[in-house]
Amino acid sequence: MLRVSQLSCGYGNVIAVNELSFTVKPGEIFGLIGANGAGKSATILALAGLIDVICGKVELEGQDITHLPTHQRVNAGIALVPEGRRVFADLTVNENLIVGATRMDKPRLDAGCKRVFTTFPRLAERRNQLAGLLSGGEQQMLAIARALMAEPSVLLIDELSLGLMPIVVDECYRVLEALRKEQLAIVLVEQSTERVQQVANRVSVLETGRVVWQGTGEQAARDSSIVEAYLGLK
Amino acid sequence: MLAIELVIQGIVQGAIYALIALGLVLVYGLLRILHVAHAALYTLGAYIGVIIVNHGGHIIVATAVAMVAVGFVGVGVYRFAYKPLLDKPPLIALIASIGMFIAAEEIYRIIFGAYGMSFEQPPLQQQIELFKGFHLSTARISVVFLSILFIGVLGWLAASTRTGIAWRATVSDAGMAASFGVNIEKVRYINFFIGSALAALAGVMVALLNNLVEPTMGAVPAYKALAIIVLGGLGSVRGTLVASIALGIIESFGTIYLGHVMDRDAIAFTFLIIVLMIRPQGLLTRR
Repeated sequence: MLRVSQLSCGYGNVIAVNELSFTVKPGEIFGLIGANGAGKSATILALAGLIDVICGKVELEGQDITHLPTHQRVNAGIALVPEGRRVFADLTVNENLIVGATRMDKPRLDAGCKRVFTTFPRLAERRNQLAGLLSGGEQQMLAIARALMAEPSVLLIDELSLGLMPIVVDECYRVLEALRKEQLAIVLVEQSTERVQQVANRVSVLETGRVVWQGTGEQAARDSSIVEAYLGLK
Repeated sequence: MLAIELVIQGIVQGAIYALIALGLVLVYGLLRILHVAHAALYTLGAYIGVIIVNHGGHIIVATAVAMVAVGFVGVGVYRFAYKPLLDKPPLIALIASIGMFIAAEEIYRIIFGAYGMSFEQPPLQQQIELFKGFHLSTARISVVFLSILFIGVLGWLAASTRTGIAWRATVSDAGMAASFGVNIEKVRYINFFIGSALAALAGVMVALLNNLVEPTMGAVPAYKALAIIVLGGLGSVRGTLVASIALGIIESFGTIYLGHVMDRDAIAFTFLIIVLMIRPQGLLTRR
């Protein structure tokens, strides 16, 4: 279980997230939505160890990982699907997956490749292509596959559907549902609310670094006008 | 016949540029720092090589010791000079680098003397007849052989091993590589070690070819290597290798056909300036 308590973080001297608390259990999708600049990405980056936590606490399976160096977090069970996908453009699809499995031995690496190629057959076809030459949707699949190679217990996903065609977004969300069934804990950040409301067990709405609304996915769907008001859509 | 000889001489010179420029491009790729002080490590390698041979060491031992010692000095340069500056604008690291380079030249002058140093009995000077009427010294053959060997092994490591893939991932996106468990600090240490060791190898080789090591011998290669990595497309290892060999061959033809108007370095820089005017993005730029 991922437990975030009173987390504050930001970029340099700018505080982006203020005293955010939430927990995500295995088999749960936690949706974090909000307008641009609300602090969603900062939350994700702080959990992945890519920006510093100013105060507060992050625990995973009871282990305090608040200030764990970035490269050790994957051992604790965290994997990141970042905003903008950030695949290793000069590396092939295969090589991207190998980096995802950095802490795995060879047999687990091979097993992992087999698994993600079953999930994403399109990647298997393109395994020797440079990741930078893939389409946006394929890159997003690769970003997810790369994260799965690390065999995480918590998957952090930032802007899953941004800039993708609806049909690709559908495919990605189907994969998320499947991963939830496999007892992954998923933190899902999105700017668009509708799909998050459909899949998330619980949703928090962020506004300028603070939680302004929280509830279950169904509640969010029912009170969508309130949620959208917070997002500045109405 | 002359043309083949000139190409071979050019490849020898180009191989030396490649060894120096590789370290520079490795550092630039990883940290976006123009590591001018790299050429000071090349000079240091040359001094270590000459001193060991003059004290009775075998040239192979001298080369190996120079590479390992300078490799560690390079790691020290990263650890104590660049690492504290990483979150500052890259210009600051560049200024620090230039400062280190000048300081190193003066330190060499104080320690080793201003007049340079030579092998008492230069090793590897036997001439081998490659084809009829064309002789090449063992030293020159060694330069080409060792460059191909080291660059080939490095290329293989980068392409085919998990460590090499992790290194390339770090060059591509250090933050993401770290998030999957790549220890990017370790990658940087290895990077500086390898780049500096190659510079030391180039230093020893140049000492063998010229039989002269001077405090300022790094100055011209420093500027040339900077121009070479720009020509290679800043960050592209393959481009850097091509640019190095091209420059070597241009120089070797130039000294014969233009030698009466310009000296070797003037030819080299004229070539670099012209190419950069036509192709500022580099010789083989992808994307």
